Amino acid sequence: MGMEIGGASEYNSEINVTPMVDVMLVLLIIFMIVTPLLQQGVSVNLPRDMISPDPDPDIAKDTSVVISIPDNSNFYIGKEQFPLDALGEKIRRLMENKPPDKRIVYIKSGVDVDYGRVVQAIDTIRKQDIDKIGLVADRKKGGQQPQNK
Amino acid sequence: MAMTGGGGQGAVPKINVTPLIDVLLVLLIIFMVISPLKPSRFEAKVPAEPKDQQDVNVKPNPLTLVVSINRDDRKIALNNDVVGTVDDPSPLTQKLNEIFTQRTNNGVFREGTNQVEKTIFIKSPKSVRYGDVVKVIDAAKQAGAEPIGLQIDDLSQ
Repeated sequence: MGMEIGGASEYNSEINVTPMVDVMLVLLIIFMIVTPLLQQGVSVNLPRDMISPDPDPDIAKDTSVVISIPDNSNFYIGKEQFPLDALGEKIRRLMENKPPDKRIVYIKSGVDVDYGRVVQAIDTIRKQDIDKIGLVADRKKGGQQPQNK
Repeated sequence: MAMTGGGGQGAVPKINVTPLIDVLLVLLIIFMVISPLKPSRFEAKVPAEPKDQQDVNVKPNPLTLVVSINRDDRKIALNNDVVGTVDDPSPLTQKLNEIFTQRTNNGVFREGTNQVEKTIFIKSPKSVRYGDVVKVIDAAKQAGAEPIGLQIDDLSQ
């Protein structure tokens, strides 16, 4: 360690930041590229600034079923579009091997979508013997802590 | 460009990287703050599909709370009493809080359990914006309503 080896009479006490900057830039670029790729599914204008939704890391998992309803005319699972009558079949297949407590379907719906469309999706889900729905919403920063049951 | 301006003999060609690092650090912090937006959701339950049997013996539960939304004047009703509007649902939260506190004090339990009955049903016409429905769910959840049921049969337009 240290600079003892250098035999010169003048010690250079400046930190060489160039490698650090290099690493930072690379990290930054990696983050910038990866972030949009991490986002799954289609982009939906979710309800924002909600005070009391419970955080659920399962939503982002690959194995969970998330139905996206970005507007009044389309249903998506992941990035794939499904008509309403094919939705049930797809959900049934995805849910087949899940233990009972994991049988929950998440719905990401845009705020401007008619509730009737969401109800159609829920009705389809219900026909597959699933009675738990997760309505995905963005939590307000510093919102209230989940209450103890 | 460069160091021609320096009159001294020992002009050292060093780039001043401090502002660069500043900018980079700030960018890094911005990314770190944005990325871990934890996904969250409201858990809702859906009642089973109604069977076509006519002779089902359904006992009405006097503890059931139904929150309904009026499409035209955007008012929220709790068992037919108007409590606030979609734009300001805080009276609903208050009212539910009152009811739940009362039930806790009086020991009103869900049938067959020792949990206070806090079940609530949300009923909304089909043409209401989804965002408004979620707002009402949020208000109900703040009062501790659990589970939240979505009534999806026989909705009006």
